[in-house]
Amino acid sequence: MKRISQKKVWLAVMIAALMLFTACGDGSDDTEPTGSDIPDEEMGELVPDLTFLSSLPEANMVNYEMSQEVAEELQLLGVNAESQPMDFAVLLDVLYGDDSDYDAYTIGWSGRIERLDPDMFIHSINHSDNANPGGNNTNRYRNPEFDEIADAQRREMDIDARRELVFEAQRILAEDVPKITMYSRANMQTYNKELFEDVINIPGEGLFNEWTPFSIKPLTDETVLTVASNVNIDDMNPLSSISVYGWRNLRLIYDKLVRLSPTIEPEAWAAESWDVVDDTTIDVVLRQGMTFHDGEPVTVEDVKFSYELFIDENVEYFGSFLTPIDSIEITDDDTIRFNLVEPYAPFITNTLAQIPILPMHIWENIENPVQYTNEDAIGSGPFKLERFQTGEELVLSKFDDYFEPVHIDGYIFQIFASPEGVLTALELGNVHMVSYDLVPSHTEQIENNDGGRYDHLELTEGDDIGFFYIGMNLDRKPFDNKQFRIAMAHLVDYDLALDVHLNGYGARGGGGLTIVEANEFWHNPDVPIYDTYDPERAREILVEAGFTWDSEGRMRMPVE
Amino acid sequence: MLNYFLKRLFVMLLMIVLVSTMIFFLFRTMPGDPTAFVVDPSIPPEARQQLLERYGLDGSLWDQYKVFITDLARLDFGDSFFYNRPAIEIIQEKLAATLILMLTAMVFAYTMGIFGGAWMAWRRGSRLESLGITISLIFRSAPTFWVGLMMILLFSVRLAWFPAQGMRTAGTGGGTFAEMFLNLDFLRHLILPAIVAGMYFMATPMLIMRNSMLEVMSEDYIEMARAKGTKERHILYRHAARNALLPVVTAGALFIGASIGGQVLLEVVFSWPGLGREIVTAVTRHDYPLAQGCFIIISAMVMFMNLIADMLYAFLDPRISYN
Repeated sequence: MKRISQKKVWLAVMIAALMLFTACGDGSDDTEPTGSDIPDEEMGELVPDLTFLSSLPEANMVNYEMSQEVAEELQLLGVNAESQPMDFAVLLDVLYGDDSDYDAYTIGWSGRIERLDPDMFIHSINHSDNANPGGNNTNRYRNPEFDEIADAQRREMDIDARRELVFEAQRILAEDVPKITMYSRANMQTYNKELFEDVINIPGEGLFNEWTPFSIKPLTDETVLTVASNVNIDDMNPLSSISVYGWRNLRLIYDKLVRLSPTIEPEAWAAESWDVVDDTTIDVVLRQGMTFHDGEPVTVEDVKFSYELFIDENVEYFGSFLTPIDSIEITDDDTIRFNLVEPYAPFITNTLAQIPILPMHIWENIENPVQYTNEDAIGSGPFKLERFQTGEELVLSKFDDYFEPVHIDGYIFQIFASPEGVLTALELGNVHMVSYDLVPSHTEQIENNDGGRYDHLELTEGDDIGFFYIGMNLDRKPFDNKQFRIAMAHLVDYDLALDVHLNGYGARGGGGLTIVEANEFWHNPDVPIYDTYDPERAREILVEAGFTWDSEGRMRMPVE
Repeated sequence: MLNYFLKRLFVMLLMIVLVSTMIFFLFRTMPGDPTAFVVDPSIPPEARQQLLERYGLDGSLWDQYKVFITDLARLDFGDSFFYNRPAIEIIQEKLAATLILMLTAMVFAYTMGIFGGAWMAWRRGSRLESLGITISLIFRSAPTFWVGLMMILLFSVRLAWFPAQGMRTAGTGGGTFAEMFLNLDFLRHLILPAIVAGMYFMATPMLIMRNSMLEVMSEDYIEMARAKGTKERHILYRHAARNALLPVVTAGALFIGASIGGQVLLEVVFSWPGLGREIVTAVTRHDYPLAQGCFIIISAMVMFMNLIADMLYAFLDPRISYN
């Protein structure tokens, strides 16, 4: 309500000013756009009509609303702008299609754990190499100076030096504003605190992460944890699984050389240690005495075989992590050497921390590994697969011979059809933890705790490293104009997004913001970003940049 | 008779090919492609291309169609993109869950419907009759998901008589059919959704039965039976109801055919792992083989049950003959 009245006031002032200046016919005040005495035909061309592609309200209400807001702000500035909600699949098709036919859009990047490494958010989505149709740089941002730094951080194997580069990259992005981050969502989740304790909450992943299964302890004789999901998981084959939740479970069945610690530092896990011999050579020493669930020992041959299998089978999901590998050799009984094509800084945090170790004695006999259903998955991780019932549940039990035994006897990953079903099951005590972010109304319901119904639940809040943003096609007018983009950053009501649409559960955005605060190690706190909603200032920036308004009040591009 | 049957069967096959073709092209004209659902769009373009090749979507539409139709001739729907398993396997698993739920609901609905309908016709004009009609219509018009939610609230949350969702208690059950379906735990989970679905379906057989009973009751032989002094109940069920059953049979046969698709909303409310839910997600995920398989099987079932209903007529009503 407040916003609307604000707008009305603004509109009234505008109309009054317009009338005043047409009456006077004198443009003495150069910050006011209307009264310009330049004839229309001498002005630049009209700012083209703009369409903001966005989400359907049921898919993402905030993006839907924000996109309408921004379109309205632009209309007030004399630009024909409209918001066009569309299905997510269709939106992706437009953004990644060959035609690249779009002006601007709202979408988001989810905060998956490997994105804590800055490579994805710095290089993949901003480097000009990826600015062609199908690439992840859907803003078509091209800046040679930035490219250089993005490349350099990828090659820099020294973490502190790399951090400097990543900071510098963030400075350039904040200045150039290739996109405008609107908000990040907080990960609101919950678990049953009367039955279990010692959960770990990780940015971007929430409660059902890589570590909670290790740390969680039962408080009663209920020793099997039931985790609720409202999304389906696909299959148990690490070479073909393409669902996020499939992977969140697979990484507990299969072990990995390195795991990212709860504070997001790489920690030697199935590896005893690693050694960066030089920029393109990494030696990994395997931990001794590990066995697979079927009792066979885990050897360096298994490790070499697994990595090569992933490379040979062209596993799409990991493609970008594996292409830097040139060759893998076994140097002695417990050491594997990775030779890289070129230095690749995320090698430890992404490649070593993602690729699972498969038992060679099983997989070498399988003819078509990608098509294999792997119903009795055998790994060397902390949990053994008991049963996978498509669309219903995944049942896992504790692997007693694991070097770091877990405290629960196993867990069940139960699949529900709707979040409402999960909430009922939580209330009844049938499930003990959620694996996804609660919908806002459920967060509120649990927080209000009417009649003490949710006394046994603990609400947890985690920061997300992902973000939702307004993307702009920099190949098109007016977004090719940096000042226009900066002005745009002043048209987004960041507080409205956070306080009203997200009920305060989240974080504010800003122009060019890419690595959000939640990613503490890599976020550059000293970069000034355009993060205030100030349409007045937007207008000033446009005037300074040479944008003009014609006799009909329509915005025109600067004269070239 | 046999001739007629074979002719119908042949037409049915033609129809299935036609429907399959329509389904095939319908899905491919849908905007978006299956790679959009691979975790998220961050995979590089080359990887998307690889994925399309793996799914067999890289060739021309015509080539894809040829593969599809030859596979179909061997009753092979292809591998589900998402599950990485033959689509037919997934369909079988889900179909069992859906059919058990729907048939239980049907038995409930048709038993209540047939007896209730007959009784209501007999007591025409009474207050109880209008009460019966009102109740059955209320359940017919109320959204099933809402009724489902209310039932869960009452019987699961407040009274804790029945489990709130799913097909079994988490972590129990196993791989075999018996382990999955032939146990008390499953039965406990089945009752609530089956009753909700049954209440929803009940109005159809009940009102059909009532109307057709009213017609039958004006026949001379009912009068005759009365005149003989036969007991009321005897006339109702032995003489009238049997003859009034015919239209209900048709409705029932068609119901079985259509029920394969399940009650999507109910499956969602009760987290019932049935085919209905699977179809919806398969379509949104652009899992063509799975979605195509589901729709082809549904249309085949509807056609087949239509045929069965027509054949049953000949047996139930001697006036109908297909020669």
